[in-house]
Amino acid sequence: MSHFTRRAFMAAAGAVAAISISASAGFAQSPKLVQKDTYKVGFAQTESNNPWRIAQTKSMQDEAAKLGYQLVYTDAAGSAAKQVADVNSMIAQGVDLIFLAPREEKPLIPAVMAAKAAGIPVILLDRNVDPSLAKPGEDYVTFIGSDFVDEGKRVAEWLQENKQGGAKIIELEGTTGSSPANDRKKGFDEALKEGYTVVASQSGDFARDKGRQVAEALLQAHPDADVIYAHNDEMAMGAISALEAAGKTPGKDVWVLSIDGGKEAVQAVVDGKIAAVVECNPRFGPKAFETMARYAKGEQIEPWVKNTDKFYDPKNAKDEVASAY
Amino acid sequence: MSALDTAPSSTNGGPVERRLNARQATLRFLGRYGTLLVFASLLLFNVVFTPNFVAWNTLTLNLTQVATVVIVAMGMTLVIATGGIDLSVGSVMAIAGALAPLIFLDRIVPIPSHTLGVALALTLPLLAAALCGWFNGFLITRYRIQPIVATLVLFIAGRGIAQTFTNSELQTFNEPSFQFIGKGFVWGVPVQVILMALVVLATHYLVRRTALGRQILAVGGNEKAARLSGIDAAGVKRLIYVISGVLAGIAGMVVVAINNASDAARVGTLMELDAIAAVAVGGTLLSGGRANVLGTVLGAFVLQLVRTTLLANGVPDAAALVVKAALIIAAVWLQSRAERI
Repeated sequence: MSHFTRRAFMAAAGAVAAISISASAGFAQSPKLVQKDTYKVGFAQTESNNPWRIAQTKSMQDEAAKLGYQLVYTDAAGSAAKQVADVNSMIAQGVDLIFLAPREEKPLIPAVMAAKAAGIPVILLDRNVDPSLAKPGEDYVTFIGSDFVDEGKRVAEWLQENKQGGAKIIELEGTTGSSPANDRKKGFDEALKEGYTVVASQSGDFARDKGRQVAEALLQAHPDADVIYAHNDEMAMGAISALEAAGKTPGKDVWVLSIDGGKEAVQAVVDGKIAAVVECNPRFGPKAFETMARYAKGEQIEPWVKNTDKFYDPKNAKDEVASAY
Repeated sequence: MSALDTAPSSTNGGPVERRLNARQATLRFLGRYGTLLVFASLLLFNVVFTPNFVAWNTLTLNLTQVATVVIVAMGMTLVIATGGIDLSVGSVMAIAGALAPLIFLDRIVPIPSHTLGVALALTLPLLAAALCGWFNGFLITRYRIQPIVATLVLFIAGRGIAQTFTNSELQTFNEPSFQFIGKGFVWGVPVQVILMALVVLATHYLVRRTALGRQILAVGGNEKAARLSGIDAAGVKRLIYVISGVLAGIAGMVVVAINNASDAARVGTLMELDAIAAVAVGGTLLSGGRANVLGTVLGAFVLQLVRTTLLANGVPDAAALVVKAALIIAAVWLQSRAERI
């Protein structure tokens, strides 16, 4: 008997699922947001073990508090599975809109689709989802984030303007396969002109200790290198340790270039240890909630809302260090 | 080893038997000196192919990078000699590495004297690491939990504890007197290399020259027999896990000191596997009863050299991992073959 009821249950559940899928396929556009005085908004953070993430969370919380919105905040602690569960619990709590900082490109697709099926619009922050599986304007409202290719390009252009006569560059890449690592490499490498060559390029995994060890090994193999370009601040700080251990003076014998622009790195620019650093702006709050308001008004949102990134070099670092995150 | 030396040579010598013996002899030779051969050929390869390899800096660079792995692997060698394993070393590194800056930055309690603060920062984390090791030993001896499961507890929880201490935030600092252990030099030799040498010498002495060393091997070889002959097997084990914890604590503090920063999420990640790999490549059987201290050092050197060789020659990091795995398989295969002779 129990056999039959279980089968009946499965059939019923399957039917419900089929109906909800066909219903969700019905609207091609991402769910609408009604205009209200106050909203209950979800923010699904991916992790918070670094200053950048902490600054991003704080910016979101501050902006929500300023507007008087209720913010449901979750931290996936670096797990894509937990982040999917977090989004599902936000759907259950009936939030009006979800800000999602997807940990990975593919695993978060179910979360985006579940929100769409529940009629809740999603805005992606700082990382995108796989463009072949989910589309802006259809499955989610838009993606807000920095242009990583442009960040790499700005570093290369600054280098070629300020260091005349060519350079031999060691590149410390981010985590292999991650979009910031791919794009920061692409932007930088493609903007290099004749005489500026990357003599070695290896992954330092966006981590300080790994970045230091890789920098030490590469400096040993290429003692004539005079520039180290790191894809983030942590590896740049590791590279500085490596240079000092090798008896070289960062800023004099070897220029260190970085991306992210956290307080420690901007202070290093002031101290002359880092030559220049492009900011990767973590202050998403204002832009995120402004985009949400525009969407509620029924405006057409562009598929990629670009964050503007600052640039720190010896000319402005001293004045800007207080405002760095 | 002595039992192996006498066994095969006294058998009667037909032509087939002799051919087998030649093969066996090669296997035994490789089992014993294979790691050394790999090390020598790696050196040779580097001298010929890697640019700027023959330089004083290469030596200091590789020694400073391998120091923490060797320090942890010494504890691991002892633990494995007792027939156990310690998966918690990476997390214990994170705990010690998180605690030290908290103490001298006055984040726990304000300490009136700066010198006292640094002194406490150099000692209290080791005490915490010892406590972690004691906890491992306690679970293993008191409740007879298998070492791989017992140390898995701290492997998982330890990093969480470290992250709770620091609120999961990266702590950066600039404290030359503390950072001496990672950045200082004594007579031109980096301090962490001196620490490594001292730890290796002490471990070697412990295994070869002390009663405790014999007891460790006896417990690892046959615990019941050791107990029946009057050895306090549980006590020996507990002590060894404490030693392993303390050594991991030292390594954690060195890593933090080198980097001017403590990142509880990252310090010591995968260190347990690096240490076990060094032990395996170095020729210590994972089944216990043996401790090849100098072999472990050599194993760590080989793995280090593989990494810098591939890096310096532009091979991506992912490939280095595959080569590392291949080396471990080769080492373990050779040992198991040599063992059966």
